[in-house]
Amino acid sequence: MADDWTTSINTSVPNPARIYDYFLGGKDNFPADRDVAEQLLAIAPVAREVVEDNRAFLRRAVRVLTREAEIRQFIDLGSGLPTQGNVHEIAQAVAPDARVVYVDNDAMVVTHSRALLAGDNTVAIQADLREPDVILGHPEVRELIDFDQPVALLCMAILHFIPDDQNPFAIVARFRDALRAGSYLAISHGTRDVPVRSDMSEAEMAEMGARVERLYQLTTASLVTRTRAQVERFFDGFELLDPGVVEIQRWRPEDWSSMPGGFYGGVGRKRPAGSLRA
Amino acid sequence: MTESRVQTGGGPTVQRMLVGARLRRLRTELGLSREEAAQAIRASEWKIHRLENGQVGFKERDMVDLLALYQVRDPSEVADFLTLAREANTPGWWQHYGDVLPQWFRTYVDLESAAALIRTYEGQFVPGLLQTDDYMRAVVHGAHLDQTAEEVGRRVRLRMARQTLLTREQPPRLWAVIDEAALRRPVGGPEVMRGQLERLIEATKLPNITLQILPFTTGAHPAMFGSFSVLRFADQQLPDVVYLEHLTSALYLARRDEVERYLDVMELLCVDSEPPARTVELLTGFLNELEHW
Repeated sequence: MADDWTTSINTSVPNPARIYDYFLGGKDNFPADRDVAEQLLAIAPVAREVVEDNRAFLRRAVRVLTREAEIRQFIDLGSGLPTQGNVHEIAQAVAPDARVVYVDNDAMVVTHSRALLAGDNTVAIQADLREPDVILGHPEVRELIDFDQPVALLCMAILHFIPDDQNPFAIVARFRDALRAGSYLAISHGTRDVPVRSDMSEAEMAEMGARVERLYQLTTASLVTRTRAQVERFFDGFELLDPGVVEIQRWRPEDWSSMPGGFYGGVGRKRPAGSLRA
Repeated sequence: MTESRVQTGGGPTVQRMLVGARLRRLRTELGLSREEAAQAIRASEWKIHRLENGQVGFKERDMVDLLALYQVRDPSEVADFLTLAREANTPGWWQHYGDVLPQWFRTYVDLESAAALIRTYEGQFVPGLLQTDDYMRAVVHGAHLDQTAEEVGRRVRLRMARQTLLTREQPPRLWAVIDEAALRRPVGGPEVMRGQLERLIEATKLPNITLQILPFTTGAHPAMFGSFSVLRFADQQLPDVVYLEHLTSALYLARRDEVERYLDVMELLCVDSEPPARTVELLTGFLNELEHW
Protein backbone atom coordinates (compact mmCIF):
# COMPACT_ATOMS: atom_id res chain seq x y z
CA MET A 1 0.00 0.00 0.00
CA ALA A 2 0.85 3.64 -0.11
CA ASP A 3 3.12 3.58 2.94
CA ASP A 4 5.45 1.14 1.22
CA TRP A 5 8.75 1.94 -0.34
CA THR A 6 7.44 1.65 -3.88
CA THR A 7 4.07 0.51 -5.14
CA SER A 8 4.86 0.16 -8.80
CA ILE A 9 5.40 -2.99 -10.78
CA ASN A 10 6.27 -3.13 -14.43
CA THR A 11 6.29 -6.52 -16.05
CA SER A 12 7.76 -5.16 -19.28
CA VAL A 13 11.11 -4.39 -17.64
CA PRO A 14 13.25 -7.47 -16.95
CA ASN A 15 13.44 -8.16 -13.24
CA PRO A 16 16.06 -10.33 -11.48
CA ALA A 17 13.49 -11.99 -9.19
CA ARG A 18 11.41 -13.11 -12.17
CA ILE A 19 14.49 -14.16 -14.18
CA TYR A 20 15.42 -16.33 -11.18
CA ASP A 21 11.85 -17.69 -11.12
CA TYR A 22 12.19 -18.65 -14.79
CA PHE A 23 15.45 -20.52 -14.13
CA LEU A 24 13.74 -22.42 -11.32
CA GLY A 25 10.89 -23.48 -13.59
CA GLY A 26 8.35 -21.05 -12.10
CA LYS A 27 5.44 -19.51 -13.98
CA ASP A 28 5.62 -15.97 -12.56
CA ASN A 29 7.80 -14.55 -15.30
CA PHE A 30 7.02 -12.43 -18.33
CA PRO A 31 8.44 -12.16 -21.88
CA ALA A 32 10.96 -9.46 -20.95
CA ASP A 33 12.31 -11.66 -18.15
CA ARG A 34 12.50 -14.77 -20.32
CA ASP A 35 14.24 -12.83 -23.05
CA VAL A 36 17.08 -11.79 -20.72
CA ALA A 37 17.17 -15.26 -19.13
CA GLU A 38 17.62 -16.88 -22.53
CA GLN A 39 20.37 -14.42 -23.42
CA LEU A 40 22.04 -15.28 -20.12
CA LEU A 41 21.89 -18.97 -20.95
CA ALA A 42 23.47 -18.24 -24.31
CA ILE A 43 26.40 -16.52 -22.58
CA ALA A 44 26.64 -18.84 -19.58
CA PRO A 45 24.94 -22.18 -20.28
CA VAL A 46 25.39 -23.24 -16.63
CA ALA A 47 23.30 -20.30 -15.33
CA ARG A 48 20.26 -22.48 -14.66
CA GLU A 49 22.29 -25.04 -12.71
CA VAL A 50 24.00 -22.29 -10.72
CA VAL A 51 20.60 -20.89 -9.71
CA GLU A 52 19.49 -24.37 -8.64
CA ASP A 53 22.79 -24.84 -6.78
CA ASN A 54 22.12 -21.57 -5.01
CA ARG A 55 18.74 -22.85 -3.78
CA ALA A 56 20.46 -26.03 -2.60
CA PHE A 57 23.12 -23.97 -0.79
CA LEU A 58 20.38 -21.93 0.90
CA ARG A 59 18.71 -25.17 1.99
CA ARG A 60 21.92 -26.61 3.48
CA ALA A 61 22.87 -23.36 5.17
CA VAL A 62 19.44 -22.93 6.79
CA ARG A 63 19.47 -26.54 7.98
CA VAL A 64 22.92 -26.14 9.53
CA LEU A 65 21.83 -22.87 11.15
CA THR A 66 18.66 -24.42 12.55
CA ARG A 67 20.05 -27.81 13.60
CA GLU A 68 23.62 -27.18 14.64
CA ALA A 69 23.60 -23.50 15.55
CA GLU A 70 20.05 -23.73 16.96
CA ILE A 71 19.04 -20.46 15.35
CA ARG A 72 15.32 -19.73 15.57
CA GLN A 73 15.19 -16.27 13.94
CA PHE A 74 15.97 -15.51 10.32
CA ILE A 75 15.99 -12.34 8.27
CA ASP A 76 16.07 -13.15 4.56
CA LEU A 77 17.25 -10.10 2.63
CA GLY A 78 16.24 -10.00 -1.02
CA SER A 79 14.06 -13.06 -0.55
CA GLY A 80 12.70 -13.18 -4.11
CA LEU A 81 9.50 -14.79 -5.36
CA PRO A 82 8.15 -17.68 -3.29
CA THR A 83 9.26 -21.05 -4.68
CA GLN A 84 9.64 -24.63 -3.48
CA GLY A 85 11.51 -24.81 -0.17
CA ASN A 86 11.26 -21.31 1.23
CA VAL A 87 13.32 -20.43 4.31
CA HIS A 88 10.53 -20.85 6.86
CA GLU A 89 9.59 -24.23 5.41
CA ILE A 90 13.19 -25.46 5.67
CA ALA A 91 13.70 -24.03 9.16
CA GLN A 92 10.30 -25.03 10.54
CA ALA A 93 10.79 -28.61 9.34
CA VAL A 94 13.60 -28.74 11.93
CA ALA A 95 12.23 -26.27 14.49
CA PRO A 96 8.50 -25.52 14.19
CA ASP A 97 8.95 -22.36 16.27
CA ALA A 98 11.44 -20.79 13.83
CA ARG A 99 10.52 -17.24 12.83
CA VAL A 100 11.34 -15.68 9.48
CA VAL A 101 11.22 -12.14 8.09
CA TYR A 102 11.23 -11.93 4.31
CA VAL A 103 12.55 -8.62 2.98
CA ASP A 104 12.44 -7.49 -0.62
CA ASN A 105 12.24 -4.12 -2.35
CA ASP A 106 10.11 -5.40 -5.22
CA ALA A 107 6.35 -4.82 -4.92
CA MET A 108 5.39 -7.99 -6.78
CA VAL A 109 7.74 -10.12 -4.69
CA VAL A 110 6.39 -8.71 -1.44
CA THR A 111 2.77 -9.09 -2.58
CA HIS A 112 3.38 -12.76 -3.41
CA SER A 113 5.30 -13.33 -0.19
CA ARG A 114 2.50 -11.82 1.89
CA ALA A 115 -0.10 -13.89 0.08
CA LEU A 116 1.75 -17.20 -0.05
CA LEU A 117 4.29 -17.26 2.79
CA ALA A 118 2.95 -15.16 5.64
CA GLY A 119 1.69 -17.05 8.67
CA ASP A 120 1.95 -17.01 12.42
CA ASN A 121 5.72 -17.03 12.43
CA THR A 122 6.57 -15.32 9.16
CA VAL A 123 6.18 -11.79 7.87
CA ALA A 124 7.10 -10.17 4.59
CA ILE A 125 8.06 -6.51 4.44
CA GLN A 126 8.87 -4.22 1.57
CA ALA A 127 12.19 -2.52 2.20
CA ASP A 128 15.54 -1.99 0.56
CA LEU A 129 18.54 -3.65 2.11
CA ARG A 130 20.53 -0.49 1.37
CA GLU A 131 18.55 1.04 4.24
CA PRO A 132 19.46 -1.26 7.16
CA ASP A 133 18.00 1.06 9.79
CA VAL A 134 14.59 1.02 8.10
CA ILE A 135 14.60 -2.79 8.21
CA LEU A 136 16.03 -3.07 11.72
CA GLY A 137 13.52 -0.54 13.05
CA HIS A 138 10.51 -1.80 11.09
CA PRO A 139 7.59 -2.43 13.50
CA GLU A 140 6.77 -5.83 11.99
CA VAL A 141 10.41 -6.89 12.27
CA ARG A 142 10.63 -5.70 15.90
CA GLU A 143 7.44 -7.56 16.69
CA LEU A 144 8.68 -10.90 15.33
CA ILE A 145 12.42 -10.77 16.01
CA ASP A 146 13.96 -10.56 19.47
CA PHE A 147 17.31 -8.84 18.93
CA ASP A 148 18.48 -9.96 22.38
CA GLN A 149 18.60 -13.46 20.89
CA PRO A 150 20.81 -14.65 18.02
CA VAL A 151 19.56 -13.97 14.51
CA ALA A 152 20.67 -15.40 11.17
CA LEU A 153 20.93 -12.83 8.40
CA LEU A 154 20.62 -14.39 4.95
CA CYS A 155 22.01 -12.55 1.92
CA MET A 156 21.47 -15.07 -0.84
CA ALA A 157 22.34 -13.93 -4.34
CA ILE A 158 21.58 -10.33 -3.38
CA LEU A 159 24.79 -8.46 -2.45
CA HIS A 160 26.00 -8.72 -6.05
CA PHE A 161 23.23 -6.24 -6.90
CA ILE A 162 24.91 -3.60 -4.70
CA PRO A 163 27.83 -1.91 -6.49
CA ASP A 164 30.79 -0.67 -4.44
CA ASP A 165 29.73 2.96 -4.68
CA GLN A 166 26.62 2.06 -2.66
CA ASN A 167 28.78 0.78 0.21
CA PRO A 168 27.76 -2.89 0.44
CA PHE A 169 30.43 -3.59 3.09
CA ALA A 170 29.19 -0.76 5.30
CA ILE A 171 25.61 -1.98 4.87
CA VAL A 172 26.46 -5.50 6.03
CA ALA A 173 28.52 -4.05 8.91
CA ARG A 174 25.51 -2.01 10.02
CA PHE A 175 23.39 -5.17 10.21
CA ARG A 176 26.23 -6.96 12.02
CA ASP A 177 26.40 -4.25 14.67
CA ALA A 178 22.66 -4.58 15.35
CA LEU A 179 22.94 -8.33 16.00
CA ARG A 180 24.15 -9.82 19.26
CA ALA A 181 27.24 -12.03 19.39
CA GLY A 182 26.50 -15.59 18.33
CA SER A 183 24.33 -14.39 15.46
CA TYR A 184 25.06 -15.63 11.95
CA LEU A 185 25.57 -14.27 8.47
CA ALA A 186 25.10 -16.42 5.35
CA ILE A 187 26.04 -15.12 1.92
CA SER A 188 26.02 -16.37 -1.63
CA HIS A 189 27.49 -14.12 -4.28
CA GLY A 190 28.21 -14.17 -8.01
CA THR A 191 31.84 -14.35 -9.09
CA ARG A 192 33.89 -14.44 -12.25
CA ASP A 193 36.75 -16.28 -10.55
CA VAL A 194 37.75 -19.39 -12.48
CA PRO A 195 36.03 -22.47 -10.97
CA VAL A 196 38.34 -25.00 -9.29
CA ARG A 197 37.59 -27.67 -11.88
CA SER A 198 37.35 -25.85 -15.15
CA ASP A 199 39.13 -25.72 -18.45
CA MET A 200 38.23 -22.05 -18.84
CA SER A 201 41.00 -19.48 -18.75
CA GLU A 202 40.92 -16.42 -16.55
CA ALA A 203 40.41 -14.27 -19.63
CA GLU A 204 37.45 -16.36 -20.77
CA MET A 205 35.82 -16.20 -17.33
CA ALA A 206 36.41 -12.44 -17.16
CA GLU A 207 34.83 -12.02 -20.57
CA MET A 208 31.81 -14.15 -19.61
CA GLY A 209 31.41 -12.22 -16.36
CA ALA A 210 31.58 -8.90 -18.16
CA ARG A 211 28.92 -9.97 -20.65
CA VAL A 212 26.62 -11.16 -17.86
CA GLU A 213 27.10 -7.84 -16.06
CA ARG A 214 26.29 -5.91 -19.23
CA LEU A 215 23.13 -7.94 -19.74
CA TYR A 216 21.94 -7.19 -16.21
CA GLN A 217 22.13 -3.50 -16.98
CA LEU A 218 18.90 -4.05 -18.94
CA THR A 219 17.15 -5.17 -15.76
CA THR A 220 15.90 -3.29 -12.71
CA ALA A 221 19.14 -4.10 -10.85
CA SER A 222 22.67 -4.13 -12.19
CA LEU A 223 25.00 -6.94 -11.23
CA VAL A 224 28.55 -6.83 -9.95
CA THR A 225 30.59 -10.00 -9.51
CA ARG A 226 33.22 -10.17 -6.78
CA THR A 227 36.35 -12.18 -6.01
CA ARG A 228 36.66 -14.63 -3.15
CA ALA A 229 38.66 -12.10 -1.10
CA GLN A 230 35.97 -9.49 -1.62
CA VAL A 231 33.22 -11.89 -0.54
CA GLU A 232 35.29 -12.81 2.54
CA ARG A 233 35.43 -9.13 3.44
CA PHE A 234 31.65 -9.19 4.10
CA PHE A 235 32.40 -11.53 7.01
CA ASP A 236 34.48 -8.96 8.86
CA GLY A 237 33.66 -9.48 12.56
CA PHE A 238 32.41 -13.02 11.92
CA GLU A 239 34.16 -16.33 12.36
CA LEU A 240 33.65 -18.42 9.24
CA LEU A 241 32.27 -21.92 9.69
CA ASP A 242 34.07 -24.68 7.81
CA PRO A 243 34.87 -24.78 4.95
CA GLY A 244 34.98 -20.96 4.75
CA VAL A 245 34.02 -19.00 1.66
CA VAL A 246 34.01 -21.57 -1.14
CA GLU A 247 32.11 -22.28 -4.31
CA ILE A 248 28.53 -22.93 -3.17
CA GLN A 249 28.56 -26.43 -4.62
CA ARG A 250 31.48 -27.23 -2.27
CA TRP A 251 29.94 -25.83 0.91
CA ARG A 252 29.07 -28.98 2.90
CA PRO A 253 27.69 -30.72 -0.18
CA GLU A 254 25.17 -33.49 0.07
CA ASP A 255 26.20 -34.76 -3.31
CA TRP A 256 29.38 -34.01 -5.22
CA SER A 257 27.91 -34.19 -8.68
CA SER A 258 27.39 -30.45 -9.23
CA MET A 259 30.13 -28.68 -11.12
CA PRO A 260 31.59 -25.94 -8.92
CA GLY A 261 31.59 -22.29 -9.94
CA GLY A 262 29.53 -19.20 -10.52
CA PHE A 263 28.76 -18.32 -6.92
CA TYR A 264 30.73 -18.18 -3.69
CA GLY A 265 29.05 -18.99 -0.43
CA GLY A 266 29.85 -18.96 3.25
CA VAL A 267 28.37 -18.86 6.74
CA GLY A 268 29.92 -16.95 9.64
CA ARG A 269 29.26 -16.56 13.37
CA LYS A 270 29.48 -13.12 14.94
CA ARG A 271 32.32 -12.83 17.41
CA PRO A 272 31.77 -11.52 20.93
CA ALA A 273 32.31 -7.77 21.35
CA GLY A 274 35.91 -6.81 22.04
CA SER A 275 37.40 -9.91 20.47
CA LEU A 276 40.22 -9.34 18.03
CA ARG A 277 39.51 -9.24 14.37
CA ALA A 278 40.96 -12.10 12.43
CA MET B 1 5.49 -40.64 -16.86
CA THR B 2 3.27 -41.64 -13.97
CA GLU B 3 4.97 -39.36 -11.50
CA SER B 4 3.63 -36.24 -13.15
CA ARG B 5 0.10 -37.48 -13.61
CA VAL B 6 -2.46 -35.08 -12.23
CA GLN B 7 -2.83 -36.21 -8.64
CA THR B 8 -6.33 -35.21 -7.56
CA GLY B 9 -9.50 -35.42 -9.56
CA GLY B 10 -7.93 -33.93 -12.63
CA GLY B 11 -10.85 -34.89 -14.82
CA PRO B 12 -10.79 -35.19 -18.58
CA THR B 13 -10.01 -31.60 -19.55
CA VAL B 14 -6.75 -31.42 -17.68
CA GLN B 15 -5.72 -34.95 -18.59
CA ARG B 16 -6.27 -34.06 -22.24
CA MET B 17 -4.21 -30.90 -21.84
CA LEU B 18 -1.43 -32.96 -20.26
CA VAL B 19 -1.41 -35.61 -22.95
CA GLY B 20 -1.59 -32.88 -25.61
CA ALA B 21 1.30 -30.96 -24.08
CA ARG B 22 3.44 -34.11 -24.05
CA LEU B 23 2.62 -34.88 -27.66
CA ARG B 24 3.60 -31.34 -28.62
CA ARG B 25 6.90 -31.62 -26.78
CA LEU B 26 7.73 -34.94 -28.42
CA ARG B 27 6.92 -33.53 -31.86
CA THR B 28 8.86 -30.29 -31.47
CA GLU B 29 11.87 -32.07 -29.97
CA LEU B 30 12.14 -34.01 -33.20
CA GLY B 31 11.66 -30.86 -35.24
CA LEU B 32 8.54 -32.24 -36.93
CA SER B 33 5.86 -29.93 -38.26
CA ARG B 34 2.16 -30.34 -37.44
CA GLU B 35 1.64 -31.21 -41.07
CA GLU B 36 4.07 -34.13 -40.88
CA ALA B 37 2.37 -35.38 -37.74
CA ALA B 38 -1.03 -35.00 -39.37
CA GLN B 39 0.00 -37.24 -42.27
CA ALA B 40 0.88 -40.03 -39.86
CA ILE B 41 -2.69 -40.15 -38.57
CA ARG B 42 -4.39 -39.31 -41.88
CA ALA B 43 -5.75 -36.07 -40.47
CA SER B 44 -5.43 -32.32 -40.87
CA GLU B 45 -2.91 -29.99 -39.33
CA TRP B 46 -5.85 -28.48 -37.45
CA LYS B 47 -6.57 -31.83 -35.82
CA ILE B 48 -3.01 -31.98 -34.47
CA HIS B 49 -3.39 -28.44 -33.21
CA ARG B 50 -6.59 -29.40 -31.37
CA LEU B 51 -5.09 -32.63 -29.99
CA GLU B 52 -2.06 -30.81 -28.66
CA ASN B 53 -4.26 -28.20 -26.98
CA GLY B 54 -6.37 -30.84 -25.28
CA GLN B 55 -9.49 -29.73 -27.12
CA VAL B 56 -10.48 -33.18 -28.38
CA GLY B 57 -10.34 -36.74 -27.10
CA PHE B 58 -7.80 -39.30 -28.31
CA LYS B 59 -8.36 -42.35 -30.49
CA GLU B 60 -6.09 -45.21 -29.50
CA ARG B 61 -5.03 -45.88 -33.08
CA ASP B 62 -4.01 -42.22 -33.57
CA MET B 63 -2.01 -42.31 -30.37
CA VAL B 64 -0.17 -45.48 -31.39
CA ASP B 65 0.71 -43.99 -34.78
CA LEU B 66 1.84 -40.68 -33.34
CA LEU B 67 4.00 -42.33 -30.68
CA ALA B 68 5.64 -44.46 -33.38
CA LEU B 69 6.34 -41.34 -35.41
CA TYR B 70 7.77 -39.66 -32.29
CA GLN B 71 10.07 -42.64 -31.68
CA VAL B 72 8.50 -43.58 -28.36
CA ARG B 73 9.33 -47.29 -28.39
CA ASP B 74 9.58 -48.35 -24.77
CA PRO B 75 6.44 -50.54 -24.34
CA SER B 76 5.81 -49.38 -20.77
CA GLU B 77 6.03 -45.75 -21.86
CA VAL B 78 3.58 -46.39 -24.67
CA ALA B 79 1.25 -48.18 -22.26
CA ASP B 80 1.43 -45.27 -19.80
CA PHE B 81 0.55 -42.87 -22.58
CA LEU B 82 -2.43 -44.94 -23.67
CA THR B 83 -3.71 -45.24 -20.09
CA LEU B 84 -3.47 -41.49 -19.66
CA ALA B 85 -5.27 -40.96 -22.96
CA ARG B 86 -8.04 -43.39 -21.93
CA GLU B 87 -8.46 -41.60 -18.60
CA ALA B 88 -8.68 -38.37 -20.52
CA ASN B 89 -11.72 -39.74 -22.31
CA THR B 90 -13.66 -40.71 -19.16
CA PRO B 91 -16.21 -38.34 -17.59
CA GLY B 92 -15.53 -36.28 -14.47
CA TRP B 93 -17.48 -36.41 -11.19
CA TRP B 94 -19.56 -33.41 -12.14
CA GLN B 95 -21.42 -35.35 -14.83
CA HIS B 96 -24.12 -36.03 -12.20
CA TYR B 97 -25.01 -32.37 -12.32
CA GLY B 98 -25.28 -32.30 -16.08
CA ASP B 99 -28.76 -30.81 -16.20
CA VAL B 100 -27.88 -27.69 -14.19
CA LEU B 101 -24.38 -27.47 -15.49
CA PRO B 102 -23.93 -26.11 -18.99
CA GLN B 103 -21.08 -27.61 -20.98
CA TRP B 104 -18.98 -24.46 -20.75
CA PHE B 105 -19.10 -24.56 -16.99
CA ARG B 106 -18.25 -28.27 -16.78
CA THR B 107 -14.86 -27.50 -18.23
CA TYR B 108 -14.31 -24.92 -15.52
CA VAL B 109 -15.28 -27.29 -12.70
CA ASP B 110 -12.87 -29.78 -14.17
CA LEU B 111 -9.99 -27.34 -14.40
CA GLU B 112 -10.71 -25.90 -10.96
CA SER B 113 -10.53 -29.30 -9.30
CA ALA B 114 -7.10 -29.90 -10.84
CA ALA B 115 -5.56 -26.50 -10.12
CA ALA B 116 -2.78 -26.04 -7.60
CA LEU B 117 -3.37 -22.29 -7.40
CA ILE B 118 -6.59 -20.43 -8.13
CA ARG B 119 -6.24 -16.67 -8.41
CA THR B 120 -9.45 -14.77 -8.84
CA TYR B 121 -10.70 -11.21 -8.97
CA GLU B 122 -14.39 -10.71 -8.24
CA GLY B 123 -15.92 -7.29 -8.72
CA GLN B 124 -19.60 -8.10 -8.22
CA PHE B 125 -20.01 -10.90 -5.73
CA VAL B 126 -18.22 -13.16 -3.31
CA PRO B 127 -16.27 -15.84 -5.23
CA GLY B 128 -18.29 -19.03 -5.67
CA LEU B 129 -15.86 -21.15 -3.68
CA LEU B 130 -16.51 -18.99 -0.61
CA GLN B 131 -20.26 -18.38 -0.89
CA THR B 132 -22.67 -19.54 1.80
CA ASP B 133 -25.71 -21.58 0.87
CA ASP B 134 -28.08 -18.63 1.50
CA TYR B 135 -25.93 -16.12 -0.36
CA MET B 136 -25.78 -18.41 -3.34
CA ARG B 137 -29.56 -18.94 -3.35
CA ALA B 138 -29.98 -15.17 -3.31
CA VAL B 139 -27.59 -14.81 -6.27
CA VAL B 140 -29.46 -17.49 -8.23
CA HIS B 141 -32.76 -15.83 -7.36
CA GLY B 142 -31.45 -12.40 -8.32
CA ALA B 143 -30.30 -13.70 -11.68
CA HIS B 144 -33.96 -14.54 -12.56
CA LEU B 145 -32.94 -17.85 -14.07
CA ASP B 146 -36.54 -18.97 -13.69
CA GLN B 147 -35.64 -22.31 -12.20
CA THR B 148 -37.67 -24.70 -10.11
CA ALA B 149 -36.83 -25.15 -6.44
CA GLU B 150 -35.44 -28.57 -7.39
CA GLU B 151 -33.06 -27.07 -9.96
CA VAL B 152 -31.93 -24.37 -7.55
CA GLY B 153 -31.33 -27.05 -4.94
CA ARG B 154 -29.12 -29.05 -7.28
CA ARG B 155 -27.23 -25.96 -8.30
CA VAL B 156 -26.51 -25.14 -4.68
CA ARG B 157 -25.43 -28.73 -3.97
CA LEU B 158 -23.05 -28.58 -6.91
CA ARG B 159 -21.55 -25.39 -5.53
CA MET B 160 -21.13 -27.04 -2.15
CA ALA B 161 -19.47 -30.04 -3.81
CA ARG B 162 -17.05 -27.68 -5.55
CA GLN B 163 -16.23 -26.03 -2.24
CA THR B 164 -14.99 -29.27 -0.69
CA LEU B 165 -11.86 -28.95 -2.78
CA LEU B 166 -10.64 -26.24 -0.40
CA THR B 167 -10.64 -28.63 2.55
CA ARG B 168 -9.58 -31.86 0.83
CA GLU B 169 -6.14 -33.35 1.35
CA GLN B 170 -3.53 -31.40 -0.58
CA PRO B 171 -5.99 -28.60 -1.33
CA PRO B 172 -5.25 -25.94 -3.91
CA ARG B 173 -4.40 -22.45 -2.75
CA LEU B 174 -7.08 -19.87 -3.37
CA TRP B 175 -5.79 -16.31 -3.67
CA ALA B 176 -8.78 -14.06 -4.15
CA VAL B 177 -9.10 -10.32 -4.59
CA ILE B 178 -12.62 -9.15 -3.76
CA ASP B 179 -13.80 -5.68 -4.66
CA GLU B 180 -15.20 -3.63 -1.79
CA ALA B 181 -18.40 -3.28 -3.88
CA ALA B 182 -19.01 -7.02 -3.64
CA LEU B 183 -18.69 -6.89 0.14
CA ARG B 184 -20.98 -3.93 0.65
CA ARG B 185 -23.87 -5.07 -1.55
CA PRO B 186 -26.21 -6.91 0.85
CA VAL B 187 -27.07 -9.82 -1.41
CA GLY B 188 -30.08 -11.58 0.14
CA GLY B 189 -30.48 -8.81 2.73
CA PRO B 190 -28.47 -7.93 5.83
CA GLU B 191 -28.96 -11.29 7.56
CA VAL B 192 -27.69 -13.32 4.62
CA MET B 193 -24.86 -10.87 4.10
CA ARG B 194 -23.86 -11.07 7.76
CA GLY B 195 -23.58 -14.84 7.46
CA GLN B 196 -21.53 -14.43 4.30
CA LEU B 197 -19.09 -11.92 5.83
CA GLU B 198 -18.66 -14.17 8.85
CA ARG B 199 -17.97 -17.07 6.51
CA LEU B 200 -15.23 -15.02 4.81
CA ILE B 201 -13.64 -14.21 8.17
CA GLU B 202 -13.63 -17.95 8.93
CA ALA B 203 -12.12 -18.69 5.52
CA THR B 204 -9.12 -16.43 6.18
CA LYS B 205 -8.12 -18.84 8.95
CA LEU B 206 -7.49 -21.66 6.48
CA PRO B 207 -3.78 -21.79 5.61
CA ASN B 208 -4.50 -22.28 1.90
CA ILE B 209 -6.78 -19.26 1.52
CA THR B 210 -5.56 -15.71 0.96
CA LEU B 211 -8.08 -12.89 0.71
CA GLN B 212 -7.29 -9.35 -0.30
CA ILE B 213 -9.79 -6.52 -0.52
CA LEU B 214 -9.61 -3.96 -3.30
CA PRO B 215 -10.88 -0.79 -1.61
CA PHE B 216 -13.00 1.95 -3.20
CA THR B 217 -10.21 4.38 -2.39
CA THR B 218 -8.11 2.77 -5.12
CA GLY B 219 -10.31 4.53 -7.68
CA ALA B 220 -9.87 3.34 -11.23
CA HIS B 221 -8.08 0.00 -11.39
CA PRO B 222 -6.82 -2.29 -14.15
CA ALA B 223 -9.64 -4.87 -13.86
CA MET B 224 -12.62 -2.59 -14.39
CA PHE B 225 -13.44 -4.69 -17.47
CA GLY B 226 -14.71 -7.38 -15.12
CA SER B 227 -14.07 -10.43 -13.00
CA PHE B 228 -11.67 -13.17 -14.05
CA SER B 229 -9.73 -16.14 -12.70
CA VAL B 230 -6.32 -17.58 -13.45
CA LEU B 231 -5.84 -21.28 -12.81
CA ARG B 232 -2.35 -22.68 -12.35
CA PHE B 233 -1.49 -26.38 -12.42
CA ALA B 234 1.34 -28.15 -10.63
CA ASP B 235 2.59 -29.75 -13.82
CA GLN B 236 5.28 -27.58 -15.37
CA GLN B 237 4.12 -28.40 -18.88
CA LEU B 238 0.61 -27.10 -18.35
CA PRO B 239 0.04 -23.44 -19.09
CA ASP B 240 -2.01 -21.19 -16.83
CA VAL B 241 -5.62 -20.87 -17.96
CA VAL B 242 -7.64 -17.66 -17.75
CA TYR B 243 -11.37 -18.03 -17.23
CA LEU B 244 -13.88 -15.32 -18.12
CA GLU B 245 -17.57 -15.93 -17.51
CA HIS B 246 -20.42 -14.39 -19.48
CA LEU B 247 -24.19 -14.81 -19.19
CA THR B 248 -24.47 -17.66 -21.66
CA SER B 249 -20.93 -18.89 -22.11
CA ALA B 250 -17.40 -18.66 -20.85
CA LEU B 251 -14.06 -17.97 -22.40
CA TYR B 252 -10.87 -19.90 -21.68
CA LEU B 253 -7.56 -18.44 -22.62
CA ALA B 254 -4.45 -20.59 -22.59
CA ARG B 255 -2.34 -18.75 -25.16
CA ARG B 256 0.65 -17.50 -23.28
CA ASP B 257 0.58 -13.93 -24.59
CA GLU B 258 -3.10 -13.55 -23.69
CA VAL B 259 -2.75 -15.23 -20.30
CA GLU B 260 0.13 -12.96 -19.45
CA ARG B 261 -1.94 -9.83 -20.08
CA TYR B 262 -4.35 -11.06 -17.42
CA LEU B 263 -1.56 -12.13 -15.08
CA ASP B 264 -0.11 -8.66 -15.41
CA VAL B 265 -3.49 -7.18 -14.40
CA MET B 266 -3.74 -9.64 -11.52
CA GLU B 267 -0.30 -8.59 -10.25
CA LEU B 268 -1.27 -4.92 -10.39
CA LEU B 269 -4.56 -5.63 -8.57
CA CYS B 270 -2.86 -7.57 -5.80
CA VAL B 271 -0.32 -4.82 -5.31
CA ASP B 272 -3.10 -2.18 -5.24
CA SER B 273 -5.28 -4.15 -2.83
CA GLU B 274 -5.05 -4.07 0.94
CA PRO B 275 -2.54 -6.66 2.19
CA PRO B 276 -4.04 -9.95 3.45
CA ALA B 277 -3.21 -9.05 7.05
CA ARG B 278 -5.85 -6.27 6.92
CA THR B 279 -8.69 -8.39 5.53
CA VAL B 280 -10.28 -9.48 8.82
CA GLU B 281 -10.27 -5.94 10.16
CA LEU B 282 -11.97 -4.64 7.00
CA LEU B 283 -14.54 -7.45 6.94
CA THR B 284 -15.35 -6.76 10.58
CA GLY B 285 -15.91 -3.12 9.65
CA PHE B 286 -18.40 -4.11 6.93
CA LEU B 287 -20.14 -6.42 9.42
CA ASN B 288 -20.52 -3.59 11.92
CA GLU B 289 -22.02 -1.36 9.25
CA LEU B 290 -24.69 -3.98 8.59
CA GLU B 291 -25.93 -3.34 12.13
CA HIS B 292 -27.25 0.00 10.99
CA TRP B 293 -29.62 -1.47 8.43
